[in-house]
Amino acid sequence: MRSPFSLKQEFLKKWILGLQRCRSSKKNMSIFERKKVIKLSADVAMASARKGTTCWSRALIADAVKEGNADKHLAEKILGPASERQPTEKVPVGAMAYNKRIRSKKILKRSSVIRRTIKCAPQAARPSSIVKTLVGKRRQILRSLIPGGEFMNGVSLIEETLDYIISLRAQVDVMRSLASASKLVNLN
Amino acid sequence: MDIGEKDKYELGKRDEHNNINYQAPVLSSDWQFGGANLTSAGMSLVPTTNPLAIGSSCASASLVDSFGSSLWEHPSNSQNMGFCDFSVQNGANSSNAMEIGKGLPNSLRSSIDRPFDMGWNAASAMLKGGIFLPNTTGILAQSLSQLPADSAFIERAARFSSFNGGNFSDMVNPFGVPEPMGLYARGVGLMQGPDDIFAVNGMKSVSVMESQKSKLDATEATRDAGLRVENRAKASPLENERKSESLMQPNEEAKQGTGGSGNESDEAEISSRDGGQDEPSALDGTGGEPSAKGLSSKKRKKIIQDAETDRAKGGQTSTKTAKDSPENQQKQSTMINKTTGKQGSPASHPPKEEYIHVRARRGQATNSHSLAERVRREKISERMKFLQDLVPGCSKVTGKAVMLDEIINYVQSLQRQVEFLSMKLATVNPRLDFSIEALLAKDIIQSRAGPSSTLGFSPDLSMGYPPLHLSQPGLVQAPLPVIGNSSDVIHKALSSQLTSMTGGLKEPNQHSNAWEDELHNVVQMNYGTSAPSDSLNVNGITPLLLMSYLVGQMSSDLIEIDLMLLQGHDHPVAKGMRTTLLKVKYKHLLSPSSFCALM
Repeated sequence: MRSPFSLKQEFLKKWILGLQRCRSSKKNMSIFERKKVIKLSADVAMASARKGTTCWSRALIADAVKEGNADKHLAEKILGPASERQPTEKVPVGAMAYNKRIRSKKILKRSSVIRRTIKCAPQAARPSSIVKTLVGKRRQILRSLIPGGEFMNGVSLIEETLDYIISLRAQVDVMRSLASASKLVNLN
Repeated sequence: MDIGEKDKYELGKRDEHNNINYQAPVLSSDWQFGGANLTSAGMSLVPTTNPLAIGSSCASASLVDSFGSSLWEHPSNSQNMGFCDFSVQNGANSSNAMEIGKGLPNSLRSSIDRPFDMGWNAASAMLKGGIFLPNTTGILAQSLSQLPADSAFIERAARFSSFNGGNFSDMVNPFGVPEPMGLYARGVGLMQGPDDIFAVNGMKSVSVMESQKSKLDATEATRDAGLRVENRAKASPLENERKSESLMQPNEEAKQGTGGSGNESDEAEISSRDGGQDEPSALDGTGGEPSAKGLSSKKRKKIIQDAETDRAKGGQTSTKTAKDSPENQQKQSTMINKTTGKQGSPASHPPKEEYIHVRARRGQATNSHSLAERVRREKISERMKFLQDLVPGCSKVTGKAVMLDEIINYVQSLQRQVEFLSMKLATVNPRLDFSIEALLAKDIIQSRAGPSSTLGFSPDLSMGYPPLHLSQPGLVQAPLPVIGNSSDVIHKALSSQLTSMTGGLKEPNQHSNAWEDELHNVVQMNYGTSAPSDSLNVNGITPLLLMSYLVGQMSSDLIEIDLMLLQGHDHPVAKGMRTTLLKVKYKHLLSPSSFCALM
């Protein structure tokens, strides 16, 4: 099992590097811009700490650098020059095309499922079907929460959720420690 | 890979002699490997549009090429099935074939195979679905003349001819038959004519393969006819051999069929035809089993039952051969990489790495659908158990819906925490320079690396400051019982602790000093911001919130205090913090200990 401490260290290191890369862009950033930078660099650092092994990390980075994103330049700056980028950054390029294909398929499937459930609404008296719809709805919500979750099927969704929760926890821990530390430093 | 296949062929042939059907499973697995390899090799070798042909022709091409050109000419002249073209093409790629041909470990086999291959090529090239006998006779004669008078070869031909007697009529499309076995079967079938028994041959192979095989079979059949008295007479022994051989063949073809998914339709045709021809006598009881299992041909599951069925039918197609239509339907829907070992099936399946064997439980449906579904469900439930340990407060709940609810809430709260913390960091650090803090944070993290839990929980705090004064834990613990009290109590506790800390031991640890400062700030905060002021002292509020975290008790009272402090502020930061506090309220419901138990 990955040691949580090493995960935190790596995340922190990458996060600081990313922040340093963004620091020189503007002199006076508003608080919200700073927050955005901080959050984005933290997310990217957390995703890259996984080194492309998990789907959500790839999807997260892919979303950050996709064309329609307003902060694309920021994300790219954080990720660093192309030469330094790890394979994870390269994966999203192909993953996006793949994701688009899967996304269209899933949208089709989802729409058909919705149509089917609407038709079968009067027959939903059976407990198994009720449970299925309940679980299915929750699965949909979970998919919307996890980056890149729309492309995962049942089993992988839960695995990705597991990994995502672990990463989020580590991220929260590090950020909290950093916040307290910086606060203390500021006070001193 | 081709060599491996040929070895397997050899094995299969030997098995025939023993008429041991149960060996088929072992072989089938090997065959499947070989078939898979063959398919892949075929794909690489033959640049053909016909996917099936690629798979099968690959092997056959290699075999054929090793022989020479004479036989090739015949096929080229005759009606060209796909296989023929392949053969020609393969001839172009003869280098591979030659290597393969040379690579045959068994000299006998190679010698035998060559004539067979030649016969195959000729036969397949000439033959097309339908009546093969008249056409093949001429071809066979030609090929026969070229075939070496090998006793073993003759024997095999006879054996194979019995296999393919019935399938010959089924030959539909020319297909590069890589397996000599298949060809043998075809030859046998040709000789005996479409016989129900030869359903065993189950030349359900891909259409292309079938045609080729049929051609080869025709060759074999004629040869056998010439060599032997009656195939019928030897039907039984041949049948056995055929079974073992066809067992291998289907596997081979199955593997090859993987490459040619496009041949599904052809396979369907063939399998349906074969189904009609399947003879229960020839088939084992396992024949029915495979159909029940509904292995998907596309998936090329290693199905011993299928192999057996194929043996019985001489089916050369993928696993679905024996199943025929029901299999075809099932194969569409079965899960990938799931072989279901039915209870009744002979337990001779050697475990294959790529397949997951599932045994149907007593009283449960043995449909491939349900078995695959069950495996999937088990996987999901297993992972949900992990999630139960990870998500706090989920140990008591059962049921997927509630569990998913908790997971969703937890993920949402974590994400909101990240948002809040990033906002906090933005306020704390106006210049985004975290260099010093990075060092400090590293120190902090390292100092607390032991429990490696969140900062805000008392157990961690007490553990994180071992060198600190003993009173410090008291500081942390003190507010806990007075959570419900107002901030005055907290202030008292803090101030008392502060005095004890300042007046007491010298705290060498930097963190303890920081802690002291933090407490001081909090105390000031509590007293200084009792009334909402217009100027939002962000620096002041954050320590309070931090203190809330540090205390580790998301008591509603504390949160209320914070909310009250933020009440009058219209600053967006205050609003954000308010919302975050509300969310923190929720977090209060989660047991802190679970947070400590990180990974």
